[in-house]
Amino acid sequence: MRPHEAQSVRGGEAASADWPAYAALARMAFQRQLAYRFANVSGLLTNGFFGLLRAYVLIALFGARHAGRVAGYSIGDAITYTGLTQALIAYIALWGWWDLMRSIRTGEVASDLSRPLDFFWYWCAQDFGRAAAQMLVRGLPIMAAYALVFRITLPPTPLHWLALLVTLALALFLSFCWRFIVSLSAFWMQDAVGIGRMAWIVVTFLSGFLMPVAFLPDWMQALMRYTFFPAMINTVVEVYLGLLDGPALLGALAAQLLWAVILYALARLVLAAGVRKLVIQGG
Amino acid sequence: MQPIISVVNLHKEFRVFRHHRGALGALRNLLTRESRVVKAVDGLTFSIRRGELVGYLGPNGAGKSTTLKILTGILVPTSGEVRVNGRVPWRERKAHVARIGAVFGQRNILWWDLPVIESLDLLREIYKVPAATYRRNLDHFREVLALDDFLHTPVRSLSLGQSMRARAGVAGALVHDPDLVFLDEPTIGLDVVAKERIRQFIRHINRERGATVILTTHDLSDVEKLCERVMMIDHGHLLFDGQLEALRQRFGGERELVVDFAEDYPDVSVEEARIVERDGLRVTYRFTRGAVTASTLIGRLSARYRLLDLSVREPEIEDTVRRIYEERLLEKPGGNAGNEGTVGT
Amino acid sequence: MLSLYLRLISISLRSQMQYRLSFLLDALGSTFASLVEFVTLAAALTRFGSVGGWRLGEVAFLYGLVEMAFGTMDMVFSGFDPGYFSQQIRRGTFDQFLLRPASLVLQMFGSEFILRRLGRMAQGAAVFALSLWVLNLPWTPGKLMYLPVVFVSTVAFFGGLFVVGAATCFWTVEASEAINIFTYGGSTMLSYPMHIYADWMRRFFIFVVPGALLVYYPALFFLGKPDPLGLPPFMPFLAPLAGFGVLAAAFAFWQIGVRKYTSTGT
Repeated sequence: MRPHEAQSVRGGEAASADWPAYAALARMAFQRQLAYRFANVSGLLTNGFFGLLRAYVLIALFGARHAGRVAGYSIGDAITYTGLTQALIAYIALWGWWDLMRSIRTGEVASDLSRPLDFFWYWCAQDFGRAAAQMLVRGLPIMAAYALVFRITLPPTPLHWLALLVTLALALFLSFCWRFIVSLSAFWMQDAVGIGRMAWIVVTFLSGFLMPVAFLPDWMQALMRYTFFPAMINTVVEVYLGLLDGPALLGALAAQLLWAVILYALARLVLAAGVRKLVIQGG
Repeated sequence: MQPIISVVNLHKEFRVFRHHRGALGALRNLLTRESRVVKAVDGLTFSIRRGELVGYLGPNGAGKSTTLKILTGILVPTSGEVRVNGRVPWRERKAHVARIGAVFGQRNILWWDLPVIESLDLLREIYKVPAATYRRNLDHFREVLALDDFLHTPVRSLSLGQSMRARAGVAGALVHDPDLVFLDEPTIGLDVVAKERIRQFIRHINRERGATVILTTHDLSDVEKLCERVMMIDHGHLLFDGQLEALRQRFGGERELVVDFAEDYPDVSVEEARIVERDGLRVTYRFTRGAVTASTLIGRLSARYRLLDLSVREPEIEDTVRRIYEERLLEKPGGNAGNEGTVGT
Repeated sequence: MLSLYLRLISISLRSQMQYRLSFLLDALGSTFASLVEFVTLAAALTRFGSVGGWRLGEVAFLYGLVEMAFGTMDMVFSGFDPGYFSQQIRRGTFDQFLLRPASLVLQMFGSEFILRRLGRMAQGAAVFALSLWVLNLPWTPGKLMYLPVVFVSTVAFFGGLFVVGAATCFWTVEASEAINIFTYGGSTMLSYPMHIYADWMRRFFIFVVPGALLVYYPALFFLGKPDPLGLPPFMPFLAPLAGFGVLAAAFAFWQIGVRKYTSTGT
């Protein structure tokens, strides 16, 4: 593949003019995801069941304390937390996203790169489409089921609802950048799949998916907050549950935004390096 | 002598469920179960004697695969009697399968990741082949199928086109000296040289080793070169069971007469034949079998013109078979109205 | 028969070992994945003190035992893994098993042995060892003899679930994903003490799919804890019956599945 063919990497300038194209890509990905009917339903049931288990574990952890709060969480908050995090699994593709890695392994990436669309936004648009579909078929139904079975917490004020939308979008973007970077490792490594698996496990561990970050020992919390992983899940949880107010809320969203920018820049760097490698070694 | 295969009034029906589309359809699929019955095999009766080499023909969906699956014991029929080597195939699976060899198209009987020789050795263990027999067969196959080139190569690395996979597969099917062999499309996808190699091997195991061979194929030159007996099936019925020559006699509609004239005559037409090609002094006539004999035509022509040479050509078996299916020359009287349709073979 | 089995799984093992680096990464990955879950629980326990009255060491005992058994089962029963078997049915390669003069079940066991799943087993062993170190239990010869029995019975139980999952593929290939709820969901559920769950869940896993009899009740026995549900005192000793009973029932169901497959084809 010759250098001038990797035009879509230069990005930026062409992006704004191509909004309709990206919207179309997102819509296509949305419909494609909806079509996986059986996978969606069985995924939903699995997520729901595990949510149930996690809720009971948390109830048991609270034990005699169920009347009060622990680290700011009431028992209702904790139960809601399990539902919310289960709902987010499909949305941010917590346990793996292989499309880009597959495309690099099969060599399809060469044709993706010679498209007149920016490579990063090309994939990002599709991911947003997929995520929207999965929020619809797996995210919302889980929350609805939880609302029927348990007494769940809802965002306290309209401001919090608005903040929730913002934080969801930022969390998705952040997650996408991370998955994008990890997938690009396939340019350099034969066994990128192993790296990928590890990467998704790291997210599970450090994002506040298994337990609310606030429940963990202080030193662990400090360590996690130095990374961007909590911004993928824990921030969303804290915004939703109304645990953050006023300046703290703004601060959390700002931190998410900052991480998003940093990861975006990193993604651009890694992409440029990957394309350079591809171009030098031949397509 | 007892036939090696005896099939009496074999029936196999499948229940095919209607598959609804769409989101509402998924619900309907769960609640209602609309189905219809499809007859894949409808009253098949035949027997095959030891040592025969039989061609089993039929279009896709005719019931060929279903028949083979029943004979190999992996499918249980709806009704009818089947005996292979004196056994009922699906009732005594292990004993039955130990005595037969089967190669079904592309699905390999060897292990994908193993070198060919190791697959063969593993088969030796599974089929409990005595060491001496195995060594004898192996040496024999290595020579006749030229396996040495790729004996130590894993199956996944073998090329398809040069018949390496087909050769290895066929060796695997025969390592335990089965007296009955089922070959489903053994030459499919092979080039001409490779096809010939496999055909030679099939002829060899039938003539030299006395194996009974049932061969299903779409390549009619396989049939022409190998089989004397042909069974034709369509819509689950046996349309024809007999000698290839008889098939040709009955249904080979048109024959050709090629004449080399001594001079360039302006008009060489003759009654009851039409000219299909004229190339200088050579003229090709076509005439309908049964309407006029070749000798009559030759008589007429030699009475009028001076002939240098002539020959009579039979129709391609390909054309004959196609005609039989397309023009339904072998349909049972009253048609096949009983059949709803066909299910995949 | 044993030699044939060993020969068959050596094929699977060799092809896995061909890619040594990715095998290592995979094994590490699966160890890491399971470990991460337990570490997080342990971390939370420092704040909460107990889960349904069970301290860290006691939970680790239960959790470790389940993980060891499930990880072992996951390797040995790899051929029956519904995810893998559904592919075999889809591709029609199961027919080859029917065409060979060898036991179907043997061929199924021999068709796969996913070594990297050792990671989960290893992680379980580590957690279990931790629990033994923390708890300082009074071991009697009886208890020492019963422990491996419980382990093997639990492997049989989970194996039975896999076999049932594989058998359902004879009817519908799509259902294999739904089976995960029972296998992986079941193992997760049994890793925590049963009394924390709702009534109907407890009853289901004691009387219908008797998972609780395999780990929870024996754990009560080993840990010397009373039964909060007040069931008869012989409950902890039903593990082998439950485990092998489920496995036997599973194989009976498998036979029905094979019969169905050979009468209706693919």
